[in-house]
Amino acid sequence: MQRRGHRPRTYAALGALLTALLALAAVIGATATRSAAAPAAADSTAIACGNRVSIGFAAPVTGPAGPLGQQMARWGKFAETRWNRAHKLDIRLVQGDTQLPDTAQAVRVAETLASNQSVLAVVGPAGSQEVEVSTAPFRRGGVANISGTATATSLTVSGKRRGYFFRTVPNDDQQSARAAAFIRRNLRASRIVVIDAQNSYSTGLADGVQRLLRAAGASVQRESVNEATITDFSSLIARIPNDTQIVYTPWQLAAKAQQFGEQLRASGRNATLFGGDGLYSPDDLKLPGTHVTAFPVALGNRTIRAYQRGPGGGSSDLFGLPSYVAVDVAARAVEKACANGQATRAEVRRFIARTNIPKAQSLLGFPIRFQQTVKRPLGPGDMRTPAQYIVYRINANGQFVKVG
Amino acid sequence: MQLPLFSVLDTVRELGWSGAVELFRNGLALGSLYALIALGYTMVYGILKLLNFAHGDVYMVGAFIGFGVLNAFGGSPSPSIAILPLIVLMFVVAMLGSGVLGVVIERFAYRPLRSSPRLTLLITALGVSFFLQNSMLLLFGAQFRSYQSFQLGSDNPAAFEPGPLVEPVFTIADVNFQRIQLAVFATSIALMVALTLLVAKTTLGKAMRATAFDHEAAAMMGIDVNRVIAATFFIGSVLAGAAGVMFGLMFSQINHFMGFYAGLKGFTAAVVGGIGSIPGAMLGGLLVGLVESYAQGYLGGQWSDIAVFGILIFVLLVRPTGLLGARAIQKV
Repeated sequence: MQRRGHRPRTYAALGALLTALLALAAVIGATATRSAAAPAAADSTAIACGNRVSIGFAAPVTGPAGPLGQQMARWGKFAETRWNRAHKLDIRLVQGDTQLPDTAQAVRVAETLASNQSVLAVVGPAGSQEVEVSTAPFRRGGVANISGTATATSLTVSGKRRGYFFRTVPNDDQQSARAAAFIRRNLRASRIVVIDAQNSYSTGLADGVQRLLRAAGASVQRESVNEATITDFSSLIARIPNDTQIVYTPWQLAAKAQQFGEQLRASGRNATLFGGDGLYSPDDLKLPGTHVTAFPVALGNRTIRAYQRGPGGGSSDLFGLPSYVAVDVAARAVEKACANGQATRAEVRRFIARTNIPKAQSLLGFPIRFQQTVKRPLGPGDMRTPAQYIVYRINANGQFVKVG
Repeated sequence: MQLPLFSVLDTVRELGWSGAVELFRNGLALGSLYALIALGYTMVYGILKLLNFAHGDVYMVGAFIGFGVLNAFGGSPSPSIAILPLIVLMFVVAMLGSGVLGVVIERFAYRPLRSSPRLTLLITALGVSFFLQNSMLLLFGAQFRSYQSFQLGSDNPAAFEPGPLVEPVFTIADVNFQRIQLAVFATSIALMVALTLLVAKTTLGKAMRATAFDHEAAAMMGIDVNRVIAATFFIGSVLAGAAGVMFGLMFSQINHFMGFYAGLKGFTAAVVGGIGSIPGAMLGGLLVGLVESYAQGYLGGQWSDIAVFGILIFVLLVRPTGLLGARAIQKV
């Protein structure tokens, strides 16, 4: 009797437990589905705009890539100052230090900015690998991010970041095609060493140029170096054959490229250095004969001249210029979203996607509109107008001269 | 990342004898710098049992002081005075400046904590390292500064003609040995010999050895322990300052972050050689430099750090006291 009496209670308890587990699984499942497919309610939370709104700014201002991050930060601050001088609605940049190449730090910065409800859009982060790891937190927060430096083609052509990720810099495929064509047709080089810098900016470009040059019949030797940590290039240089014509270095630290070039010359090798847009830095790279590809810039624009007189302090660095443009794009979208006095992140995302800055107002020398679909080499978030990369050569006086 | 044996053998064959000599020369020059940094680590560890992680940043400050002196005399590539006295002045000022910095760090960061657990001192050392690094970042920004040593003193710097520092002195197997590489190696050896003599033959050296053996007993014998420890920090930091200027003259580019990796390699060298041993630091430095150079040359850039830290792990496994380290005798 006792046993029979216990059984219904046992079944009831088991049933209740099962129900609770099923309910828990359903709740977890629903939450998980929502977070993977669509942002949480964060992107539809309206915030009052008032007189000033916040835009996140993720850049590596300290750490090994500090020289690049500081350039970006200077251009970003300059954009903030100029915007606030000309508009009623002020913007405030909320800075996060991503300490490239520490991707864990990039995730922490992304999470901090995404959870800060006052941040309506984010400019950055800098490296493609940082964009890769930051996508999830930004997406969960429903916030768009616009990078002025992340160039890996896969970021956009995969289509995974549609509507959330934008960039104001052309992608690697566009640049590598230009570099490979110039090396083969104009410089008529057939023996090339490609040295990647072991980061996603560099490997993307190196892979592209290597593939295209090999397809064109050139002999390509591939090498790697960690440009952020290396102090002595001489052992790497020992691996470069004496008859090498071009050393392609898609790096970002122009000072390190200068050091590499000097050591290359001191070793008696006559190969020409060829860099990507990361090396467009007339202040740091002065090695005569060096070539670099660079995206088109409206050099005569008075904003650029004002930067070079003011925050740039006579510096001709342009690495951070696309970050200026990114701040401008974000600020325009936020201003439109704030037309009725309040804005949501979802509205800001939509306005960013609809950006249309005519050529006359663009510091990049071409109109800024974003691609909505995958159309190789472009993907959603890339600038729609194909960039006509310029090739510069450094002359005997250390000046960059346009040669193609 | 692949390491196909045949490809390595191919590389060895392709580079040939001259490649081996070139890598040896590079490793020797780089190793000399590591050795000087390692000496500072080893001296401080020997006397205080402290891993002074701020040491790499003292080296970085030394490089900046040297750069300041260079700029005070017109800067590279055409300074207002002759190259040799200028370089001597850069060394003297950087060594003194770094030495004073070392003493200040010891006095204000480590001495108040001397009786605290060792972990406290270790954390403080890391804190001092970040403090120095970020102070330089605030003061001078993150951009690289260049000694422009390739052109320093060049007759025609505008045409990018090399200066006297990178002129070849002699050639072995088609490999040029540049003046600066030989100077760095010779200076490192000279400084190490001077340091060894100082520790072995002078009263200060005797006091240092006594303090390293037993602080309390040394104090009871009338040795001013604080003064000896301060002198140890001064000497170690002087060597780091010299290494900083040598780095600038050899590799041109300096920035606020350069001390981190150099410090890490210097520390590795000190541990490999046997931390606390002066010849061990020199041996460890040269070994780390050579391993790094050969790994980079024969295996590729992505293998150099793996090889260096692989050696560290191997040495710690088979000989935990390091190559020339003494086995500690414990009182029971």
